[in-house]
Amino acid sequence: MSARYGMVIDVDRCTGCGACMMACAAENNVPALPQATARTGLTPLLVRKVSNGNNGETRREAFIPIMCMHCEHDTPCVKVCPQQAVEVDEATGIVMQMAQRCLGCRYCMTACPYHARYFNWWDPAWPPGMEKSLNPGVAVRMRGVVEKCNLCHARLHSAKEKAAVAGKREIDPADYVPACVEACSTNAIHFGDLGDANDPVSKEAHSPQAFRLLARLGTEPKLYYKSNEAWVRALAEPNSPQASEVQRG
Amino acid sequence: MASTVLTDARWITRGAERISLSRFLLWLSPWAVLLAVGVYAAALCLFYGLNQTNMDNRFAFGLWIFLDLGIIALGAGAFFTGFLVYILKRVELKPILNTAVVVGFICYSGAVAILMIDVGQPLRAWFTFWHPNTHSMLTEVTFCISCYLLVLSLEYIPILLRNRQLRRLPSFLVFEHQLHKLVPVLAAVGTLLSFFHQGSLGGLYGVLRGRPFAFRDGFLIWPSTFFLFILSAIASGPSFLVLIIATVEKVTGRKLVPQELYRRLAFISGVLLAIYVAVKCIDTLVWLNYTSPAAGFAPWQYYQHKGFGTPILFAEIILLGLLPAFLLTFRKTAASKPWLLTAAAMACAGVLLNRFVLTVQTLALPTLPFDDFLQYTPSWQEVASFAGVIAYGVIVYSLSYRYLPLFAAPKGRDSHVSGN
Amino acid sequence: MWKSVAWDAINEGKAMKVTRRDLLVWGAGAAAGLLATPVPWKVLDDVSIWSQNWPWIPQPTRGPVEVKQSFCTLCPKACGLRVRMANGWAVGVAGSSTHPISRGALCPLAFAAHQLNWHPQRLRNVRHGSSLSTWAEAQSAFAKASKEGPVVVIDGYSGRAASSVLETFAGKQGGSYRVVATPELRAFTPYEQWTGIPAASLGYDFENARTIVSFGAPLLDGWGTPGRLTRLWAESGAGLSDPQLRLIQIDSSLSRTAARAWQWIEIREGSESALASGLAGALLEQNLVPAHSPVPSMTLAESSAQAGLSVERIRELARLVVAKTPALVVARDDDPAIAALNVLLGSLGNRGGIVPHSEGVKPYVAAESAIGNARAVLIDASVPWEFVPQVEAEIFRFAAWDGGATKADWLLPAPGFLEDLTDLPTAPGCSAQTYGVAPALVKATIEVQSAAQFLCSLDASLPTTAKIIDSRCEDLFRRREGNLYGQQIAAIDKVSSVQSFKEQLWKGAVWAGEASLSKAFACHLKEWPAQTRPVSAETWATQWKPVVMPPLASKLYQESGLREPPRRNA
Repeated sequence: MSARYGMVIDVDRCTGCGACMMACAAENNVPALPQATARTGLTPLLVRKVSNGNNGETRREAFIPIMCMHCEHDTPCVKVCPQQAVEVDEATGIVMQMAQRCLGCRYCMTACPYHARYFNWWDPAWPPGMEKSLNPGVAVRMRGVVEKCNLCHARLHSAKEKAAVAGKREIDPADYVPACVEACSTNAIHFGDLGDANDPVSKEAHSPQAFRLLARLGTEPKLYYKSNEAWVRALAEPNSPQASEVQRG
Repeated sequence: MASTVLTDARWITRGAERISLSRFLLWLSPWAVLLAVGVYAAALCLFYGLNQTNMDNRFAFGLWIFLDLGIIALGAGAFFTGFLVYILKRVELKPILNTAVVVGFICYSGAVAILMIDVGQPLRAWFTFWHPNTHSMLTEVTFCISCYLLVLSLEYIPILLRNRQLRRLPSFLVFEHQLHKLVPVLAAVGTLLSFFHQGSLGGLYGVLRGRPFAFRDGFLIWPSTFFLFILSAIASGPSFLVLIIATVEKVTGRKLVPQELYRRLAFISGVLLAIYVAVKCIDTLVWLNYTSPAAGFAPWQYYQHKGFGTPILFAEIILLGLLPAFLLTFRKTAASKPWLLTAAAMACAGVLLNRFVLTVQTLALPTLPFDDFLQYTPSWQEVASFAGVIAYGVIVYSLSYRYLPLFAAPKGRDSHVSGN
Repeated sequence: MWKSVAWDAINEGKAMKVTRRDLLVWGAGAAAGLLATPVPWKVLDDVSIWSQNWPWIPQPTRGPVEVKQSFCTLCPKACGLRVRMANGWAVGVAGSSTHPISRGALCPLAFAAHQLNWHPQRLRNVRHGSSLSTWAEAQSAFAKASKEGPVVVIDGYSGRAASSVLETFAGKQGGSYRVVATPELRAFTPYEQWTGIPAASLGYDFENARTIVSFGAPLLDGWGTPGRLTRLWAESGAGLSDPQLRLIQIDSSLSRTAARAWQWIEIREGSESALASGLAGALLEQNLVPAHSPVPSMTLAESSAQAGLSVERIRELARLVVAKTPALVVARDDDPAIAALNVLLGSLGNRGGIVPHSEGVKPYVAAESAIGNARAVLIDASVPWEFVPQVEAEIFRFAAWDGGATKADWLLPAPGFLEDLTDLPTAPGCSAQTYGVAPALVKATIEVQSAAQFLCSLDASLPTTAKIIDSRCEDLFRRREGNLYGQQIAAIDKVSSVQSFKEQLWKGAVWAGEASLSKAFACHLKEWPAQTRPVSAETWATQWKPVVMPPLASKLYQESGLREPPRRNA
């Protein structure tokens, strides 16, 4: 198979409910530790609140889900990893993080302009018995390694298995939907193959409302956003004069 | 009882005058305590993990990386002195060669020790050799630093074997003699390795396309910081040696090297620093006007945060760059010891500031338009484990100074060691 | 023996004295030789494997994964679920896209609901006061109490088969049955008073509305069945300057709904009621609605002063409300002044307004009112933890989780998430009737009983939940209306037998009746409702407050700043 998986996130539709963050964490066996904070926690998918900077009734707020952008060109994290624990999967375009190869030097985290990489500062832990509720398809990461969104690679894996059992070479796109896409209550996250010109996502990525964050860095992120609101689109530029607001930190 | 009092006189180089063992131990004891605290802090980090530090997902690198880069730059005096003595045949620098090697060894072994704590899974550190990513600056750093540490150890061994008691073992003497013949080769290899890892330490940040504050255009695969780091390291290395030797002279109350040597080192440091400042200015202008805007970042953004404004750029280039370069090369100031030492300290501070800006400020600065400027304060474990490295350095240097002929060996039968 | 042989050998070979050199050579040789063996390499390899799987790293259960259709039973919104199961445990939750109301969406908490059964605050033992007790003791205490005087049974999720057990018991015993309703359900009480139609059988016809005016109801943030309104809003031009569905949010702060609504009207906190009166005045004054009496006694100026909006702004808002019809007003709670706006706008019983979806549903009994004289109070696990009856009686409280600081005399461990068979009646606010069955998918690891099971074990003459569900299924099948939403959507006429109907329901299919869109009903206001007390704004992802949060919820408020940390009033 040969695909370039990516997303178009309709910011206008995002209500910031956080269902995607919960679904992502549950699917990927991300622990929730009582001692973790907004700066040390594990949120491979993080919904950020932004505003147009106004006060009173003209104030607008929007929510921007941030995750690994799966940069296609000169992928910053892949280039810097000293031991090939990060790679761009040739067949899918997914930037993969191999936890068992990672030595935890965190160089990739300093390289990522989107702050989409997270370090396991603690040993993963769940309240007694709760490990029975973990997703069997995903291995738990140990302390001291970096992790991030891999577009629910375990789901791609089972879709491939299903196709192989059926004797098919290509997976059924309906079998491979990342958890956040599935969880979104407004269908704001559209997932598909950007390499396929006929894929609706591919078309959407080229609409005038679509934009990418920090596109001028030249890393060709495969995560697009779109909005009808000009102030939201202005967030694509790092030095847009639009005032903005930070939610974490 | 008095007759059985411990003495280490027979270990001390013949003819050298050293303080009594008890006074020496008294001197060592606070450093030993500091080292013990550092080892305890490091053990906490290894046992409980990096949650013992105050680093976080944004400040993935912290105090440790800054200081690692700093001491490796200052430790550059070792390879550079070797290079000057053996390759460029500047024999007048030979008296400080041993000190340069010991300081280099301390800096590098300390940095490697800290790096071992700094990674999340130290047991997997060898993966870099097993599955190296040849495109990563960190791979280059890892290979060069570990190889160079090996070289420094090999350079250190002959000095070690020149200890009065160790010399009595015939096989050690032979070994030392053979090894000593290798030293020029080692110096050459060390120079090459050092050039590369000083450079790749600079490249570490210079290649970060995702951090336009640090990202630099460059030559082939090397960003400009690659060359700037080499230049700044070799410029500050001799200054650091000046400071070390002056400190040792002060502490021991002995005159160890001729004043002329200070001036020689200062001049080398000053000239190199001047070249560095000139290149750095060009680099900064290119970055401000071309590299950064091309990535979509207006340079004014970087300097609008409290405490991290343009004064920091001024301090880095002019105050702690151009000014010490001038003081170190100007005949009048270089002739005055207080001025010379001040200038050397300024040069070292300038290089440290440069490393600080590149490591810490880069991470503090936001990239996404809705990100914020972040701050971070190291935890006591980070500070203590680093202080432990400094204590380790002092102890190793003190022991070397006491038991090894660092500066001048007695005249006579082993002239091949000390003289010619 | 061997020792002496060895010594002899050494003594014999006196000429071969072992020197330091020999030792060194031997050591170096051994080290080099060791490198040629697999030992060091194996150790290196093992180190990497060990460091991946330290014994203290939890491992997920292994085993084939199967997907079951079910429903979220945590609150009365009755969202459809797809539950992934492995080894008999729920290992993942996702929305069921075949569910006609929730349409595949869930509130954020539901995605980690399967972890709740392992929550550290899970109630694991029968507790009497501050000491541990047993089920037998609890049963005899309750039996004794119910012999001595009336028992008040309190339910938090009315209309279930279990509710029917509770109600039957209360009826037989001579006590009473009360319901603590969700804010969504409470919002219908004014209409119930005015029209006599039970609140539980009223719903909003959002799908046909063109303007929705929300008085602080968190419509896009877990209000009602979450997926219904969020999907509708998203599909009706969210973010466009003139969307097909206009959502006007009246809120004192920029709530999540206000942030994303078409228009946000900022008012003073607690002035919703006053603004409703002012808005009614402005509608009448500008002849934007048919003349109506009674009219609000509050003048526009008074309303303007209270709400902090100019008179002209209120007039403008009135024009905006009727610019695109049908328009529908939604209140956060049971404020009658806001409800009266719907009467004025003619939204009652009309397309895009408030419609009755079924007949024969019993009016619900609010529990807030004084409970009266009671010997004992039995509280079902569905009642919000914050609810504490103000009564001098022995309190038997069922709960799956311990929210702390309860005033109950008895705390009885109830089944957790998906541990109990239950049916799911129509969720509050739906415009069509629905019915579903959630079987017990996972086994409880501790001894639990629901309030209904507890009562059935005391009184064998009570019908069990399973029996009631069975007969409800048969009744529905006999009605021959509506559709069954399972793998496919099938009209109920196409379902071959009652057996097949039941089977499909037990496998997680949903029966849904037709929405009765225009059954105009008479509604007369005797006088314009007086302003009521301000309702406190409280919402955390849903208007439903769970006893405990799934640990993963900390991703939203602790590991990020997306939401405010939950507040407990206890």
